[in-house]
Amino acid sequence: MSEITITIDGQELSAKPGQTVLEVAKENKIDIPTLCHDNRVGINTSCFVCVVKDENTGNWLPSCSNPVQDGMNITASGHEADDMRQTALNLLLSEHSGDCEAPCTISCPAHAKVEEYVRAGREGDHWLALDIIKQRIPLPISIGRVCPRFCEKDCRRNVKEDAVAINDFKRLAADLHYDEYMEDMEELTDKKVAIIGAGPAGLATAYFLRIEGIGSVLFDRLPEPGGMLRYGIPEYRLPKDLLDKEIDHFNKMGGIEFKCNQKLGTDIELFDLKEEYDAVVVAVGSWKSSSMRTEGEELAYNGIEYLEDIAHDGWQAKRDPGETLVVGGGNTAMDCVRTSLRLTDEKVSCLYRRTEKEMPAEQIEIDEAREEGCDFQFLTQPISLREKDNGRLVLECIKMELGEPDASGRRRPIPIEGSEFEVEADTVIAAIGQKTIAPEGVPTNQWGDVDVNENNCQADESIFAAGDCVSGPATVVEAVAGGRRAALGIKAYLAGEEYNPEYQINVSRGYWQSLNEDELVYLKEPEDKERVEQSLIELSERISTFKEVSYTFTEEEIVQEGKRCFECSCTAKTDCKLKEHSEDFGADPEYFKENVKLDHSYNIEHPQIIMDPGKCIKCGICIKICNEVVNEYLLGFKNRGYETKIGTAFGEPLPVNCEECGECIEACPVGALDWKIKKLEEMQ
Amino acid sequence: MVKRIKVGMASCGIAAGAGEVKDKILEMNPDAEVVEVGCIGHCHAEPLVEIETEEGSYLYQEVEPEVEFIDKILNLEDYSRFVSPANRESKEKLYVTELAGKINPVSIEEYEDNGGYFALKKALEMEPDQIVEEVKTSGLRGRGGGGFPTGLKWSFLAGKDDKDKVLICNADEGDPGAFMDRSTMESLPHQLLEGMLIGAYATGANRMFIYCRAEYPLAVKNLNIAIKQLEEAGYNYINGADIKITVKEGAGAFVCGEETALIHSLEGKRGTPRFRPPYPTDYGYKGRPSMINNVETLANIPLIIRDGGEKYSQIGTENSTGTKLFALAGDLEYSGLVEVPMGITIGEVVYDIGGAEDGTVKAVQIGGPSGGCIPEEHFDTPIDYDSLTELGAIMGSGGLIVISKGRCMVETARYFLEFTTKESCGKCTFCRIGTKRMLETLERITGGEGSHEDVQLLGELGKKIIKGSLCGLGQTAPKPVLSTLNFFENEYLAHVDEGYCAAMECKALVDVYLDQETCIECGQCIKVCPVDAISDDFVVDNGICTRCNSCIEVCPVDAISRVKREEE
Repeated sequence: MSEITITIDGQELSAKPGQTVLEVAKENKIDIPTLCHDNRVGINTSCFVCVVKDENTGNWLPSCSNPVQDGMNITASGHEADDMRQTALNLLLSEHSGDCEAPCTISCPAHAKVEEYVRAGREGDHWLALDIIKQRIPLPISIGRVCPRFCEKDCRRNVKEDAVAINDFKRLAADLHYDEYMEDMEELTDKKVAIIGAGPAGLATAYFLRIEGIGSVLFDRLPEPGGMLRYGIPEYRLPKDLLDKEIDHFNKMGGIEFKCNQKLGTDIELFDLKEEYDAVVVAVGSWKSSSMRTEGEELAYNGIEYLEDIAHDGWQAKRDPGETLVVGGGNTAMDCVRTSLRLTDEKVSCLYRRTEKEMPAEQIEIDEAREEGCDFQFLTQPISLREKDNGRLVLECIKMELGEPDASGRRRPIPIEGSEFEVEADTVIAAIGQKTIAPEGVPTNQWGDVDVNENNCQADESIFAAGDCVSGPATVVEAVAGGRRAALGIKAYLAGEEYNPEYQINVSRGYWQSLNEDELVYLKEPEDKERVEQSLIELSERISTFKEVSYTFTEEEIVQEGKRCFECSCTAKTDCKLKEHSEDFGADPEYFKENVKLDHSYNIEHPQIIMDPGKCIKCGICIKICNEVVNEYLLGFKNRGYETKIGTAFGEPLPVNCEECGECIEACPVGALDWKIKKLEEMQ
Repeated sequence: MVKRIKVGMASCGIAAGAGEVKDKILEMNPDAEVVEVGCIGHCHAEPLVEIETEEGSYLYQEVEPEVEFIDKILNLEDYSRFVSPANRESKEKLYVTELAGKINPVSIEEYEDNGGYFALKKALEMEPDQIVEEVKTSGLRGRGGGGFPTGLKWSFLAGKDDKDKVLICNADEGDPGAFMDRSTMESLPHQLLEGMLIGAYATGANRMFIYCRAEYPLAVKNLNIAIKQLEEAGYNYINGADIKITVKEGAGAFVCGEETALIHSLEGKRGTPRFRPPYPTDYGYKGRPSMINNVETLANIPLIIRDGGEKYSQIGTENSTGTKLFALAGDLEYSGLVEVPMGITIGEVVYDIGGAEDGTVKAVQIGGPSGGCIPEEHFDTPIDYDSLTELGAIMGSGGLIVISKGRCMVETARYFLEFTTKESCGKCTFCRIGTKRMLETLERITGGEGSHEDVQLLGELGKKIIKGSLCGLGQTAPKPVLSTLNFFENEYLAHVDEGYCAAMECKALVDVYLDQETCIECGQCIKVCPVDAISDDFVVDNGICTRCNSCIEVCPVDAISRVKREEE
C-alpha cells in the first residue's frame, strides 16, 4: 500500500497505513508517554496517558490505538497535552496504593537510602552499606552515634514490636570501613567557596562541593573543627578521637582547607570573603542560649557554654560542680545532666515545667540519665535565683499544672498559686534553648534565622546558608541535609544556572501508627523477632568516666537485626512507569482530596513472585501478555467500575513454574506483579 | 355485545396487578375471548382493561381483581373509565406503537391481520439497494442515542463483499427509568423482527442476534415465541437461506449497550469496549462485518417500507424525521410511554402530555445518565437531535424525567453519576477513576463539606473525562453534572457557600422543624418516628433525627417541615 502523510507537532511525516500514531511518533523519535502499550500484544487502550489531539476534529485520541489517516494533524505535546496527561496520572495515582520509598528513607532528613544500606549490612557487605550511606551522609561515624533516628520513628516494624535498629547499621559500616573508604570525586576546578563554620552543616557543604569538584575553605571561631559535634555533644556520646578520624578524612579528600580560631567580625569579614571567594556559605549554627527570664539568671551557666567549657577541658573531671540543677527538658539539658553526673558525686536534678511526656529530649537520653542517677523534678518552673553568703545558690520555683494544648500541641503549663518553694544547689545550668546570631549583612526571618531560598539555600547573591543558623537548633542529620542542598545550589549558581531539585513523588500507604498488622505488605511473612538490644558499658563506669556509653553492634547482631526489615519500598521503584511519567508531568499523589483507595489484598504465596493489586493500574497488559505471548490464561479482570481488579482464578497463587517465564512481570508498568527478591547489585 | 376483553399485560401492567385481574375475569367465565395485549402506554392508570364490542371499545383504568368491579366494566358501566388527559391525543402520534396494546403480541396471525409482514413481502420484491435508499430517504436516525443515519449504516454493511455478515439488534436498554425498548419487544416482537428481516435482506446479513438484557424476561419470552412463529411461517428465508435468529441475554452490564462491548459480550468475552476504528461494519462479531441497530430503529423499518421513505420523512423535522418514543417519568401527573413526532417541544411533552402542573417544573433530564438537564426556560426547544445536543443534553434512547422545583439539581447530578460510576467497565483511566473522584466531590457538596475548588474541579475534570474516554459511557458520564453546572451553578454555590440546599433535599444541610403554633399535638409524629427524635413536648432533636420524612408525611396539619440547617 502507498505511504500516507501525517503531521505530528508540526513535523510532516510519512507513515504506512495500519500504523498507529504512537508507532509513527516513535519511529520519528517523538516521545509520547504511555503505560499500557506493549508491541507484542494487540492494542490495549487503557491508561490514556498517550492521548494526543487530532487538530482536524478537535478530538483527543489514544495514540497507541488510533490508526494513522492521510492528512492527520496531531498535536502530541504542549500545555494542553501535558495537562491531559497530568490529569490521567493524577487519577492513576489517586487509586494507587503502595509505598514508592520505604517510610524510613522518606523520614530521613538526608533521604539516605535506608532500606538499601540495611539490606547491604544484613548481607554482610558493609563497604557497600557505607557507600550507600555516604551518598547522603558524610559524617556516618558521628551520625551513627548521635542521630535521633527519624527513620526508626517511622519504621513499619513498630507495628509488630520495635523499629529496626537502623542507625546501628551506619555506625558499624563507618567503624569498619571509614578509614579506607574514598569516594569518587570530580576533578577540582578553580572555583573556591568560603564556609563560615566547620560544624556539621559546614562540613557537609564542603563534602558535597568537593564531590562535585569544588574546593572550599572552612573557617571556624573555635580551635578545632567540628562545631557542636566537638563542643556541644559530650564525649560519652561521641568520642572526640573518632570525630578527629572523621574530620581527618576531609583533609584526605584534597581541596578542603580548615582555618580555625577565625572569628567572624574580628579575624574575617563577610564582605571580604564575598570578594575573595566564588561563594560564601554561612553555617554558624545556633550558639546563643535563650534566657530563663528569671531574676538572677546571670548566676546560672548557659547549657551550651557549660558543655563548651568542659569540652575545652578535654572532657575531664577538672572541677566538681557539686550539687547541680539543670533547668530544661531538651537534649542539651540531658547532655548537661549526664555530663554533671560524671563530674560530681553530689545530686544532679533536672527541673522541667511540663511532664516527662512533653519533654523534647530523646526518650533514650531521658532513660539513660535516669539510670545514671538524675533526679527529675517535673511541673517545676524557676522564678528567681540568688546567691547565699556561703556561695550556694537558691533557686525559687513554683509548681505547675497542665492546661489546654498550646500552638506546639503540648499542654500549656500553668503556675499553681501559692506553691512556691526553694531549692539549693552549687551549680545551676539553664538549658532551655538556643538561638541563631546571624552575621551582619545576611537576610534573616522573624525568628532571627538566616532567610534562604529553600531549594538552593541561597540567601543573597553569592551567599548561601545551611544548618542550625537556617533552621534554628536542630539535629546533625538535618544540618547535613542542608549542607547538601547548599552545595548543589552553589554548583548550579557557579554554573550560572538555577538549581531546582528534581520533582519526586512518593506514594505512601501511610504512617505505621494508622496501620494495623494485617494492613502491612511484606515480601515474605516476617518472623516475630525482638530488636537487638544495644550493649552499654557498666553503669559504674558510665557515671565515673566519659567513656563512650554504648558499643557498636557486632556483625552478627547486624545480620540478626537486618532480618527484621520488612523492605517496605516498592519492588518497582527503579522502573515504575507511573512514577517516571508522574514526575515528568508534575502529577501529585495528593491531588485529589479524601479519595477512596480500595484495599486489594496482596499475594506472596508464590516463592518468587508478589502480586500486589493495590498498585495495579488495571491496564490489563499482563492478561494480554499471558494470553497472546505465553499462551496461558492465568490472569483476568474481575469486577467492574472503580472496583475493577486483575487477579487469578479464585485468587489462587500463580503456578510455581511462572518463575521460568516472568513475561507479565516485565510488562507490568508498575509493581503490581513483581519478583520478590530485591537484589543487592541493583540497589545503587 | 362484548367481543373481546383485552388486558394490558406488558411488564408494567403485570406489576400493577393485571395478572390477578385477568385471572379474575377468566374465573368469571365471560362469553367473550380474553386476550393478553401489550403496553397500552398509560402506566399511571394500570391495570388497564379494554372491552371490545360491536359498537366500539371502552378502556377501563385501575381495574381491581374484584367480581363487583369487573361486573361493572363487563356491563360497560360508566365506572373507572379511562379518559385520556386533555391534550394527550392531539399531541401524540402513535405510529411505531400503533398496534401496541391492541393486538396479542405473540399471535403472528393477529399481527398479519393488522398488516404485519406486508412490508417484508414488499421489501423482498425490491432490490436490496433500493431498500437501503428508501431508508436513507426516510431520514431515519439511530434511536439508541447517537442519532447516526440508519440508511448510511446499512449501506456500509451492504457494501461489504464478505460471505458472512451479522445483524445485531441492540436491546440492552439500560438507562434508569427507560423502558421504550422493553415495551416494544413485549408488545410488538413481530414488528421488530420484521424490521430485522428487512435489514438482513437489504444488507446481505445471514445471521441475526437480539442482545436483550436478561432483566426483561417477558421480552425474551415473547421474542422467542415470535421467532418460532416466523420461522414456521418461513419469513426467515431470505437471500436463499434460512437466517438463524438468536436472542442473547445480557448479564446486566450497562456498558454492553455500547456496540463494541456488546459484540465482546456476544462473543463470550468480558463486556468492555474497544477502540474504533475498526468499526463493527468492518470488523464485528467474530471478525465478521456486523451492524448494530437499536430496537426502536428497527421497529421503524416496516413502516418506512410500507409507507415509503418519502412519506415517512414528512413526519418530524427536516433533520430528525419520524417519531420518538419516550419513557415519561418524574414529577408529573401522567407517567408512561409516549410516542411523539420529532419537533414537538419539550413543554408540550411535559405539560400537555405529562400533565405536569404549570409553575412546578424546574427542568427535564433527557437522555438518562448520558444526557443532560434542560431548564424550564428552554422548554420551547423542539425535540430533535440537534437542538438537544446544542443545549448540552442528548436525544438519548428516550428517558425523559421531569424534575420539579422541589428537587436539588446537585443531588440529581449525583444520582446519575453514581449510576455511571458503578457501570463503568473499568478499562480506561478517566472513566474508571475520574467518575469516582467526581462522585466523591459531589458527595462532599451534598454532604455539606464542599468547597469552591470542588465545584471548579467538577467542571474541569468532567470536561477531561469526556475528552479522555474511549466509549460513549465515559464520553457522556459527566454530562448530567456539566449541564446542571451550566444551568444551575447557583445551586452548587449555595451548597458550598451557605450550606444551603434550596430544595431541602440534601440531608446534611437540613433540619426538621416542628412549628408548635400549627401543631395540634395529635402525637402521630412521635409514634411514627423510628428513632424517637421527637420529644413529648413536640421538639425535634436534629442530632438524632435521620431526616427520614416519616413525621412530615404523617402530620395532618403540615406543622413539620425541612428547614435550612442551623449553624452549629
